[in-house]
Amino acid sequence: MTRALDSFLAAAPWPQRAGLRLLLALARRPRGAALLARAPLAEQAAWSTLALGRYDDPAIGRALGWDAGAVVDRGRALRRAEGRP
Amino acid sequence: MTDSLEADFCVVGAGAGGAVVAAELAEGGARVVVLEQGSHHDPDSFTARPPEMLGRLYRDGCQTATLGAPPILLPLGRGVGGTTLVNSGTCFRTPPHVLERWQREFGLELDEAGLRPCFERVERALSVAEVTPELAGANAAVARRGAERLGWSHGYLRRNARGCVGSGVCVFGCPTSAKQHTGITYIPRATAAGARIVTGADVHGVVVEGGRARGVSARLPDGRRLEVRAPEVVVACGTIHTPLLLERSGLRDASGQRGRNLAIHPATSAFALMDEVVDMARGVPQSFYVDEFAADGIMFEGAAGPPAYAAMVLPLTGARHTRAMADYPRLAQFGLMVSDESRGRVRAVAGRPLIRYDLCAEDVAKFRAGLARMQELFFAAGAREVYLPLPSGMRPEHARPRDLKLMAFHPLGTARADARPTHGVTDGELAVHGVAGVHVADGSVVPSALGVNPQLTIMALATRLAFHLLGRVVPQTSDATGPDSQPTDEEEAPCPS
Repeated sequence: MTRALDSFLAAAPWPQRAGLRLLLALARRPRGAALLARAPLAEQAAWSTLALGRYDDPAIGRALGWDAGAVVDRGRALRRAEGRP
Repeated sequence: MTDSLEADFCVVGAGAGGAVVAAELAEGGARVVVLEQGSHHDPDSFTARPPEMLGRLYRDGCQTATLGAPPILLPLGRGVGGTTLVNSGTCFRTPPHVLERWQREFGLELDEAGLRPCFERVERALSVAEVTPELAGANAAVARRGAERLGWSHGYLRRNARGCVGSGVCVFGCPTSAKQHTGITYIPRATAAGARIVTGADVHGVVVEGGRARGVSARLPDGRRLEVRAPEVVVACGTIHTPLLLERSGLRDASGQRGRNLAIHPATSAFALMDEVVDMARGVPQSFYVDEFAADGIMFEGAAGPPAYAAMVLPLTGARHTRAMADYPRLAQFGLMVSDESRGRVRAVAGRPLIRYDLCAEDVAKFRAGLARMQELFFAAGAREVYLPLPSGMRPEHARPRDLKLMAFHPLGTARADARPTHGVTDGELAVHGVAGVHVADGSVVPSALGVNPQLTIMALATRLAFHLLGRVVPQTSDATGPDSQPTDEEEAPCPS
């Protein structure tokens, strides 16, 4: 699990945090994934959370045309140049 | 150890309602203390990376959810600016037919003419302007093409932004500070006028003695207690937390409506695989709307974001998800929002809100119709494939509540305004029934679903409340003041090349 995804989960109230951690643990195991496939909403929740972490990887983002670092740098430069808050 | 402050007004919450009330009161010469539970978020700390920013800028790490059929994720902002810090910036005035309903059903003396100066004042303060096609980006162009081919009513949205360059991450913290959220507009005005903003303040309750407000008690991050002595308190904790604060303050609720009547504008989105490159994260994510079916309670609005966001909300799993994400540059997305007739309830359980909300049959029917229309819109725009938020292979008309993958962004109504103390928590002037000196200024007073994004309505009502508390008339546009006043009838500046 990435550090960012871990902090995302850590910010959740404990019931959601515990539930999501359980779903993620299931999704990573073949038998668990087969079990999740019977509950579409739970499967989607697990898949969405894992995907959030996976596609946050800067290398994957750049391969898809998205560079978070460049967006942030441009924002900071604009704020400083124009004296924005 | 207890610290104490004295003020004419104590405002609890620095979001859409609280920040506006605080600034207007302070500029009106009142002594104001604002207590905000969250912190001030420095834009230098924004990373444009969704998991990190969801964890930091949203209450409960963006994992507040309703219980019911179906469960619905309900993201809420937390910190100076509240949800205005993390919303898409869309600005609609309250629709006239909604105001007429409020007069008819809730006895509220609110009409277009009366609220106009409030809206104009807010729009000037927030630099509200229509998004340009250039800034809207290719994702909006897809929806526009579909709507034009179908002859459906549509347009570019009005937003509170200045100098936007289409960073594509409005909901993860604007890195350019282009979005004019209340944390960078009204709160600095309040501070400049002498208001004191206390962050990290966990408010225990409104102190009431002899049937009137005496102040607010809170705890600070270092464990010290803070007592704010004030004869007037404005509660603006948001629709989910305001009824809980009123309850733990021991205020009577003769109406039995506190925490009830929760409307949320349940929403979902669909994706489409296009032939052209869309690059949905380039441009304003929510820049375009299709209101052809607004009278039926169905509104389409733009939605988009960077790959991590898209991967999170793409309604696919397994190999289909991986294949679709490999084509991310050619994915388009659009959102569907329902003006709900379902009503939920917020209660405190072990000090935390428990939100119950079940989608009623009428709203399920709106989603079925809306998803079918959304599919039509994308195919009319030339989509190769459309990914609906339904189980694989399910047609929209067969969707059941448990099949819908929903989120909601506009909680309203849990301290609804009604002129009658037997029917509402607050009166037409947003004062809590049955106690003197306690007022509410957030979405909880909005007595019905609006069918449009509510931030402007909340801010206009907060403006009206502030001037009512000052005993003054809201100035007309010609004599409106404010350091950041901007014309509102211009288009937002295009993205520089």
